[in-house]
Parts: sequence; C-alpha cells; structure tokens
Amino acid sequence: MSFPLLLQCRLALIAAALLAAGALLPPQARAADAAAPSSAASAPMTAATLDGRIQDVKGDVIKLNRDLLVLEEELLFPANTQVALFVSMDVGKMFELDSVQIRLDDKMVSSYLYTPAEVAALHRGGVQRIYLGNLRTGEHELVAFFTGKGPHERDYKRGATVKFDKGSDPKYIELRIKDAMGKLQPEFDVKVWQ
Amino acid sequence: MRLRFPLRPALRRRLFDTAAAVLALGALCALGMLNSARAAEPAAPAHEVRDPHYGDTLFHFFQDHYFTSVTTLMNSQHFDRVAHHADEAEVLRGGMLLSYGLHREAGEIFAQLIDKGAVPPVRDRAWFYLAKIRYQRGYLDEAQDAIARIENHLPPELGEERALLQANILMARGDYAGAAGALAAVDGKTPGARYARYNLGIAWIKSGDAPRGAAVLDELGRAGAEDEEYRSLRDRANVALGFAALTENRPKDARAYLERVRLKSLHANKALLGFGWAAASLKEPQLALVPWLELAQRDVSDSAALEARIAVPYAYAELGAYGQSLGRYQDAIAAFEHENVSLDESIKAIRSGALVDALIERNPGDEMGWFWSIRDLPEMPHANHLSQVLAQHEFQEAFKNYRDLRFLAKNLDDWRDKLVVFQDMLDNRRKAYAERLPQVRRQRGEIDVDALRKRREAVAADVARGETEADGVAFADAKQTDLLRRLADVQATLKGNAADPELAPLRERARLAAGVLSWQLAQDFPARVWDAKKALVAIAAQIEQAQRLDAALAQAQRDEPARFERFAKRIAALAPLLDVMIPRVAALSKEQQDAVQDIAVAALTQQKERLAVYSTQARFAVAQLYDRATAGVAASASTASQEGEHAAKP
Repeated sequence: MSFPLLLQCRLALIAAALLAAGALLPPQARAADAAAPSSAASAPMTAATLDGRIQDVKGDVIKLNRDLLVLEEELLFPANTQVALFVSMDVGKMFELDSVQIRLDDKMVSSYLYTPAEVAALHRGGVQRIYLGNLRTGEHELVAFFTGKGPHERDYKRGATVKFDKGSDPKYIELRIKDAMGKLQPEFDVKVWQ
Repeated sequence: MRLRFPLRPALRRRLFDTAAAVLALGALCALGMLNSARAAEPAAPAHEVRDPHYGDTLFHFFQDHYFTSVTTLMNSQHFDRVAHHADEAEVLRGGMLLSYGLHREAGEIFAQLIDKGAVPPVRDRAWFYLAKIRYQRGYLDEAQDAIARIENHLPPELGEERALLQANILMARGDYAGAAGALAAVDGKTPGARYARYNLGIAWIKSGDAPRGAAVLDELGRAGAEDEEYRSLRDRANVALGFAALTENRPKDARAYLERVRLKSLHANKALLGFGWAAASLKEPQLALVPWLELAQRDVSDSAALEARIAVPYAYAELGAYGQSLGRYQDAIAAFEHENVSLDESIKAIRSGALVDALIERNPGDEMGWFWSIRDLPEMPHANHLSQVLAQHEFQEAFKNYRDLRFLAKNLDDWRDKLVVFQDMLDNRRKAYAERLPQVRRQRGEIDVDALRKRREAVAADVARGETEADGVAFADAKQTDLLRRLADVQATLKGNAADPELAPLRERARLAAGVLSWQLAQDFPARVWDAKKALVAIAAQIEQAQRLDAALAQAQRDEPARFERFAKRIAALAPLLDVMIPRVAALSKEQQDAVQDIAVAALTQQKERLAVYSTQARFAVAQLYDRATAGVAASASTASQEGEHAAKP
C-alpha cells in the first residue's frame, strides 16, 4: 500500500470515528436537538423548527384532550350518578383470562374479550376500567362472569356477585382475579372502593 | 508492466466513507436502543395499586398506549383520583411526556418533584430523568450534575440505564476513559449491555487506546449470539474491526475479522467489499475477485454492491486480463445508466406522495408513539430502493412524526364530532328540563309534606296517649273495632230490656264476649304499641326523605339552568381551540410529509451522485484501457516496421 493511500485510510478512520461520535447521541436527542437551544440566544430561532413546532402541537393536543375528557366525564357521567367498574388480576397463574361479562341490575353492561397484550398489562399490575356509567341512588346488584382457562388448561367459567348501595358520590367497584395458592384454584371477588 | 489505475485510491476512499456511514448508522441504532425514549416505568410494585384509576393508567401504559395513558392520567389527576400515587403518577406523566419529546414540560414536572422534597426513590428517579433531558438537550454539565445527585434509591431496572446514560454524558464531554469505566460496570448479558460493549470498544479507540478498544470489539465479534439482533451487532463489530485493520495496513487481520461476518448479514456487503480490498492489499487480486464477484451480483441499490461493479474490472486489470476488464467496465456503465433511470422513477413516485401514503396504509397504528416501526413495505416501482431509504434513522424519525400528526388529526376530528354531540345533548337536556319542570312542579304541589308531617305528629300523640293509658282499645285492629262496635250495640239493647228475665243468658254471653275482647286487646297491646312506634319512625324517615327530595328539587330548579349554561360556555370555549388546532396539525402534517419525502429523495439523489461518479470513473478506465490497447498496437506496428527496415537493409 502506498503512503498516500495509507494516509487516506487513516483520514477515513478519523471520519468514521467522528461520524460514530455524532451517532452516540440517542435518536430522539438528534430530533430534539434540532429544536433544542444550544444557548439561550438561539432559542427563538430553533424553537421555530418543524420538529420543535411538532413537539409543541403534541403538548397542546395532550392538554386539550385532558380538558375535553374532563368535560365529557362531567357532562356524561356526573359524580352523583357515576359508577366505574374495574378488572384487576393478582398473579394470574391459575387463570388465563379470555373474557368478562358484566350484568348490572340484570342488564348486560359489558362483554369484553381480552387481547394477549391486555392480559399481560393486567399481569403487570394494570387495572382496566371496563365500564363507566350512571346509576340512581339506592341498592344495586352486580354479577360478573369470568371465562378462560383454569388449572390444567381446562375451560373455566366463574361468577362473582355483589350488592351495593349507590349514594351521591361516585362508586368504584373492582372485580379481582386472584390465585388461591392453597386451593390451587383461581378466586374471583369484588372490592367496593369507598 | 502493470497499468496504474487512478481510480484505485478514489475507490478505497469511498469504500471507507461508506463503511464509516455504516458504522455510524450502527452505533446510532445501538445507542438508540440504549437511550430509547421509553417512558418512565412506575417504581411501585405491580400489585400495590391503591387507586383504581392509577391502575387504569398503568393498564394503558403497559400496552405502550402512552397517549391514552397520559391523557387519562391527567383526567384522573384533575378529579384527584390518584392521591395515593401522587408522586409516582407525576414521574409517570413526566416520563411519558419525555417519550413524546416534550422536554420542557417533563423537566418542569421532575424539577417540581425535587423542589417539593419527594421521597428518596421518587427524587432519584426525578434526578435521573432530569439528567436524561439535559443530556438530550445538550446541557452536558447540568446533566452530569443531575446524574451525580442520584443516590441509591433507583429501581434495579434503571441501574443499567443510569450507567449507560452516565457513559454517554462522559463520551459527549470527551471523557472516553471515564465513559469506558462507566460502561465496564454494566452487566454483559443484557441487550443494553451488548450495545454498551460495542460502544465501549468505540470509546476506547476514540480515547486513543486502540488495542483495548479492538480487544473489546474482538470479544464481541467472537461471542456466541442467540438472536438475530445480537448476531447483527456481532457482524457490525467485525466489520468495524476489519476496516480498522485495513486502515492500519493490516490486511491479514482484516481478512480474519471480515471472514466472521455472515454472508446473509445486513453488513455482509460491506464485509465482502473490505474482504476484497484486503486481498488486493496483499497483492492477490485473484483472491479479491471471489468476494467482489459475489458482491457484484447483488442489488446495486447498495453502495458496496455498486462499488463492486467497478472493483471487479479493476481486479481483472490488475491480473492483466484487460479484455475481461473492459467488458466488465462496459457492463457496469450500462447497469449504472439503468439504475439511474430507475432512481429517477422512484424519486418521481416519492414526490407524488405514493411512498408516504402506501406506508401509512400498510402500517396502521392506533396510538401516537416513538416505538412504532415500519413493518410492511409498500408496493412501489423499484422496491429495492425503499429498503435503504427506510433503514435511515432520520427517515424513520421523520415518518414517525408524520404518523403522530395523522393520529392527532384523527383525534381532534373525533373530538370535534363529539363536541357537536355534546352540544346536541345539552340542548335536548335543556328542552326536556323545560318540558318536565311544570309537571314536576304540579306533582310537587299535590304532595303537601307539611300536612303529612302534622298528620304523623297527631298519630304519634295518639300512640303516646294510648301507651300511657295502657288503652288496648286505641290499638284495636279493624276486626276488633267492628266487634267492639257490635258488642256496644248488643249491650245497649240489653240495657233497654233490663227487666226481661229471659234475656239473662244473653247478658251473660255479652259479658263473656266483652271479657274475651278486653283480654285479647290487653294481650296484643305491647306488640301493637311496638309496631305503631316502628311505623311512626318509618313514616318520619319517609317524610324526611320527601323533604330532602323537595329541597333537592328546589335546588335543582335554581342550579340546573346555571349548570347548563356553564357546560354551554365550556363547549363554546373548547370548540374554537379545536378549530385552531385542526388546521395547525394539518399544515404541520403537510410540511412533515414534504420533509419525509425530501429525506427519501435526498437519499436516492445521493445514490444518483454516487452512480455518476462511478460512471465517470468507469468511462475513464475504459478510455485508459483503449489508450493502452492503442499504444500497444502502435508499439507493435513500430517494432514490426523497424524490423522490416532492418531486413531491407543490406
């Protein structure tokens, strides 16, 4: 290899290293840095970049969504009649959830089929708000049916029921799927949040 | 004598340029993983949700539905429904906003958590994310200050990320040795650690300690890899090592490194090119032909394959096979021209919007997010051009932004429709209220609660008197009252005929009947007093409830119109915001679509420029080959002529 060629190769390596250094910034940083001020003086100019304006609009839409959700809830589900039903799963080794059906005062209010991603989210501690509606004050009855696979891959269907009083405050009811390790069976119960 | 080709250094320079670009892209992707904008994971153990609405936020969060998660969380925070997880919820919200690139908002959230003296685990997480934000914004000293403030309360899953962030900050500040130290502490088995090791190698080389860097990369390049991602990283390390060896004039080492790269790897083309150059450096052009001929058959949309088209005739020329060299150069020129036309067609298709539309159509998504990736390539003329365009980080990020804007546009359109429904609903409620109010007022007028209360008080007084006087008759039921009345009639009749001796048995029977009735009333007295009192309590409760309902109705009559008015004002205030936001998002979408298309076109234009350069060089080489052939013929003719002259001489 001739000397000029070797020099070129070295220069190429330096170029490679410099490019790699640029790449060391994370991807979102590259995008963000396009809008990020390197100094206070340059802030107004960089804030006007397309990427910066897109970030701004995302923030504005998120806030607007919050206001619209608040309006929707206050309008459609006022606190004095609001009832929210939740589904949660503690461990969930004894039961593979497929679907949940819920009847409120003998009227079907929800029939939900779960995706694997939703079941995984429940396993990780997520709590699904499965129903949001309105109820008059007074006594009501809730019946929930859980369908899925129980121990030994057997089809499994169980129910849970609760009678509750609806007052003038919102009512939150959690349908809980638990593992009863002593019985090696799943358990289904209902918690009425105060 | 061998022909010296002036294009050789140029070829090699481009070879290294392309390799540099590949390495850069590789490191970018690697670090992209390490520093990905995945939102803050909640620190609380999974099953200790103490507010169901916080659990609902997590439910969406764990499915990477960050938009739904953050908006429902903000809604729940508005109603104060996540009080038990207040700080955690803020960390989560800040993390999600950060994942959307909203650095300012996220920074304010984390700073507020620190200012208010959150508990150490929350405070540490806040410092961690502040360090991340500052690093991303380029405030390196501030980022270093923030990361230094983290104590020992970070959850274990953030430990590795913290070390990687620390290393990145140090590298960005030029402290490569420090960065190497930080990265050395990362466990080598996790996916993040693999990329960290790659970066560690680069960091060492950049710090001037090439042998240590090469050793790290070499270890990575030899390691067993259980998945494609890791195998690809291993290939990348070997390509980096190979080209580093080539630049240091160690072609044998380069061959050894490049031999490890899989033939079907993403990096195989670069490896084949380098492998050929290593052989050429060893003055073994016949060996160089093996990888180059393989590479020359591959898709010319790849820059390495493109370069192989002229590297092959170069090798033939080095071997003295000028005829084959000439043929190959001419083939290359034809292929370049054909490819140039194809590139023009692809650019035209991209400019027409076909690429972006087809990508959106084939890759629908239901949420706004950074973790979405292009899964399905659209049908386009010369689809092979797309792979190199879509692989670009810049294109992917720009396209994600475009897709996010489309999501926002749909979200806003949905809300605009809903607002119309809300307004209709409100109008209907007003109308129904106006229609029912007179009816309710009339019904209310028919029920005199005060009169009922007075009646109840009168009955209560009777019960009290009856109880005090132990008056069983006061508590007689209807049948007993009837019997008492009839008995009184009989006794009155008997009294009118008191002198009649024949009525004596009847008098005795009447006396007995009166006794039995008195006995029964006396027996029933305690139970009936109890029942009466119980009934009075129930009546009092009902009257009280009626009074409450009456008061509530009166209150509703005063409040409801005002409530309707408040809702109407809110709807009226939000509607213009939507009207402003929708065209704003639409305009940005258009701009972003143009930007996406510009990136794609720029990539293809770059390829066209490469083609032009290669074409020029190939034509120049062809001219040189013709010159050489012409010079050879002339030399032969001259020699023959001289020999003839000598022969003619006596």
